[in-house]
Amino acid sequence: MNRSVKEYRTGLLLVLPAFILVFFILFLPTLNTFRLSFSHFKFPRGVQGSNGLQNYIYILKDREFLQSFLNTINFAAVSVLFEVLFGIFLAVIINKAFIGRGLVRTVILFPWVLPTALNAIVWRWLFNTDFGFINSMLRTLHIISTNINWLGKIPLAMNSMISVAIWKTSSFIALMVLTGLQTIPMQVYEAAEIDGASRQQQFLKITVPLIIPSILLALLFRSMDALRSFELPFSLTQGGPAGSTQTLSLFGYRQFFQYLKFDLGAVVSVVQFLFILVLGILYIRLLRRDES
Amino acid sequence: MKQRTSIGHYILILVLLVIFFVPILWIFLTSIKTSGEIYAWPPVFIPAAPTLNNYATVLFDSNLGLYILNSLVICTISTILVVLLASLAGYGISRVAFKGAGVFFIFFLSMSMFPQLSIAPSIFLWFSRLGLLNRFTGLIIAYLGLFLPLAIWILTTYMKTIPEDIEDSARIDGCSVFRIIFQILFPLAIPGVIAASLIMFIFSWNEFFLSLIILSKDTLRTATVGIALYPGEYAFPWELISTATFLAIIPLALLLFFFQQRIISGLTAGALKS
Repeated sequence: MNRSVKEYRTGLLLVLPAFILVFFILFLPTLNTFRLSFSHFKFPRGVQGSNGLQNYIYILKDREFLQSFLNTINFAAVSVLFEVLFGIFLAVIINKAFIGRGLVRTVILFPWVLPTALNAIVWRWLFNTDFGFINSMLRTLHIISTNINWLGKIPLAMNSMISVAIWKTSSFIALMVLTGLQTIPMQVYEAAEIDGASRQQQFLKITVPLIIPSILLALLFRSMDALRSFELPFSLTQGGPAGSTQTLSLFGYRQFFQYLKFDLGAVVSVVQFLFILVLGILYIRLLRRDES
Repeated sequence: MKQRTSIGHYILILVLLVIFFVPILWIFLTSIKTSGEIYAWPPVFIPAAPTLNNYATVLFDSNLGLYILNSLVICTISTILVVLLASLAGYGISRVAFKGAGVFFIFFLSMSMFPQLSIAPSIFLWFSRLGLLNRFTGLIIAYLGLFLPLAIWILTTYMKTIPEDIEDSARIDGCSVFRIIFQILFPLAIPGVIAASLIMFIFSWNEFFLSLIILSKDTLRTATVGIALYPGEYAFPWELISTATFLAIIPLALLLFFFQQRIISGLTAGALKS
């Protein structure tokens, strides 16, 4: 047999099992969700014919959908912005040599490794109005005199949720920035020092431009993640108060699995999918440019 | 960067450690308090007489211990299968110069970004038809599809760094592909395989959405879902929830403590590709 034909068959054979699984678990279900979004669906009987754009019109007019949509954008934009800023700050601090650096790196990475759902539970307890750590601490230190309802007030609840996201993810951003920092050769800084560049100048003129690609990647990677945020509102606030922390994922989940309206839920999925698709295309482009 | 480390720097680091660690410490402290101490005013920060009663209750008198056990079983099996299948695919993509390898790579890369919300409805409807709801097998199959793209990415990136000469000579000697993968390439790729396994274990341990919809029966729940759903509508036994949370994060803490470097290298390969 011709060598290239044999190689082709071997390669295909090796990739096939993974391909089939990914095809049936990720690709086909997503395609089916698109179909559902244009159909009339009755649970548990299934699809009852086409519904044209009716589901889209219904959802786009829905006040709760619009609120969830704006919440998601708000949550993603603010949390990713602060995560990146705080992440760069962390990376610069850890990049210096100091005693116990390895241990510090492990500890700050800890929140990132934990499940988001459990992080949310941890913080729900910390934010507890009557017995939570935060109010207890603030009152013991006489910073406040009455307890604050961190998760039950608008817009405080959203801000509390954003802080949990920042607490969880900035160390991961820091890690991505660190890999960028460590590729900068020491000689560059030594040369700049000889030329009389100050610390600030070195940071702005050398460090920042060289870590911008890693920061951009981290930014996109995290934005895609933040746009599908589900378990954080699910177990921190259940989307409340008055839907002010409900994200698209949580809204969609409720359409599917609480109200069993699979056609309406599918519209929410499609909207979220298209959003992530745009960021994903940018991300892959950036990666490939980085490679060449 | 040649810089001296000042006292100010250490103070800054201390503040950061407090921010990152105190929430976890608070959960641990809650887990060794009595409920009287938890709901006391003025607040009790350090318990006077630490107790392990909550641990006994969680492990023997509630389903919380069972949830952790369920997670251990599901995550171990799916990690092994994902890494095995991803190694084959990674070898196929990085080594066998077949037409379409690049297309497959891009396919897997883009699939890794698909949100759970867009696959959940069909998975639920189809799995219910196939009798895969409320079965570990169902969740494991879903995890294979969900996590294979990332595992393939990590392993392909790693395999590309291994020089090809070694297998070339084996190939000329007429070794089969499977012998080349498992006897020659696998030992060389061990660091990449370990990194991928660790990350897959952590990701499947932390997964929430699919576990929530596939395993809805109380005794089958995984750790994250079981604990997150435990605070009921009226009762919030925080001492038990804290204890279970603390127990559920121990496996992850151990992995991070012992394999920090490998996890980091695998992750940055996965997200950044240096």
